[in-house]
Amino acid sequence: MIALSDYLLLGALLFAIAVAGIFLNRKNVIILLMCIEIMLLAVNTNFIAFAHYFNNLSGQIFVFFILTVAAAEAAIGLAILVVLFRNRHTINVDDLDMLKG
Amino acid sequence: MLDNYLHILIFILVASLISIAPPILGSLLGPRRAYAEKDSPYECGFAAFENARMQFDVRYYLVAILFIVFDLEIAFLFPWAIVVKELGMAGFMAMFVFLGILVVGFIYEWKKGALEWE
Amino acid sequence: MGFEKLLFYIFAAVTLFAASMVITRRNPVLSALYLVMAFVSSAALWLLLEAEFLGIVLILVYVGAVMVLFLFVVMMLNIDVATLRARFIHYLPLGLIVAGIMVFDMFLVLGPADFGLDQFAKPQSQPADYNNTAALGQILYTTYLYQFEIAAVILLVAIVAAIRLTLRHRPETKYQDPSNQVRVRKGSDRVRLITMPAEPVPPSLTATLGATHTEMTE
Repeated sequence: MIALSDYLLLGALLFAIAVAGIFLNRKNVIILLMCIEIMLLAVNTNFIAFAHYFNNLSGQIFVFFILTVAAAEAAIGLAILVVLFRNRHTINVDDLDMLKG
Repeated sequence: MLDNYLHILIFILVASLISIAPPILGSLLGPRRAYAEKDSPYECGFAAFENARMQFDVRYYLVAILFIVFDLEIAFLFPWAIVVKELGMAGFMAMFVFLGILVVGFIYEWKKGALEWE
Repeated sequence: MGFEKLLFYIFAAVTLFAASMVITRRNPVLSALYLVMAFVSSAALWLLLEAEFLGIVLILVYVGAVMVLFLFVVMMLNIDVATLRARFIHYLPLGLIVAGIMVFDMFLVLGPADFGLDQFAKPQSQPADYNNTAALGQILYTTYLYQFEIAAVILLVAIVAAIRLTLRHRPETKYQDPSNQVRVRKGSDRVRLITMPAEPVPPSLTATLGATHTEMTE
């Protein structure tokens, strides 16, 4: 029997890996976006596990909308990345210090 | 319910076996006598001109992005197609509005010329 | 039941392995491919949770479209990998500490003591003819109608933003326009052959022409 806590801990481990990835790849924006995708995957796994164990489909609906929003976010984020590369010829986070305020 | 997916599990097992075993066997059994010149990239006998990674055009990105959006639209259409008879007119109007909003985006990209391949 | 548990551990191990490969690879292409692996094994885990439609959507939308987009961008940007290779290895201990604390906290909160089988028993598995997609559709288009329409607006925003940001017309490129080619009418648009009287050749030109002619014959 798989317990609910198994799925929740899997989600926690995935999320922690993504956080460590953000610390490790601070320079590369593409890998940062991929880490965000892993975080969303962990959250979605938790949602589906709760939906299953509570016998309530609302969690699955939530995951569907999260997938939609995440796809739109990835699309726009990568579009911004393309424009950034076109203007500055770099995607290094350290070089993006033009905004001074 | 999960019994229905046993075929897919067997398929995954066989597929991963077939795709993983030959490279492992090859690396175990094949002779490997590497030296610098054998490992260097070969481009018709002269030194390589440029990086093997060719730069892609931005247009591929635009096509992929429009593909994602309409892929998700299809994903929303699937459950609707199954239950549309039970939902009746209300469900039909819901999808009508949904598609109407996306048609606005489609007209926008058509008029902007995002679908033209110059 | 033991078999399901075994499957859970296999797919969970594959997911965690792939996720840790994503963050440690130097080549972004490899990271993207490992992310595909993580998505596929997560889809299998979602199937174990009887969310069959979402598992298939994850493969269809994420593996089929979003990861292709990531790969296109990686290939398009022509990144100088060497400069990005300078790793923040000295930040790794800090990252591991933060991640470890998070896992420890979540283990305390979400561990078997509070969310184990005693508190939440495994629900009865659905019958073989249970249709997850239909069950989702029954509430998606009625209870969650407004959210559904908002999703359409979000997708519209994604279309407009992507086109606005990245589309750039290049007037200098030459290309064929098939619709213009088809629209050509006989007579005015095509090449016309016209008859005209022969021009009288000026005497200076005849001299040079004659000279070259004699040179060629010699």
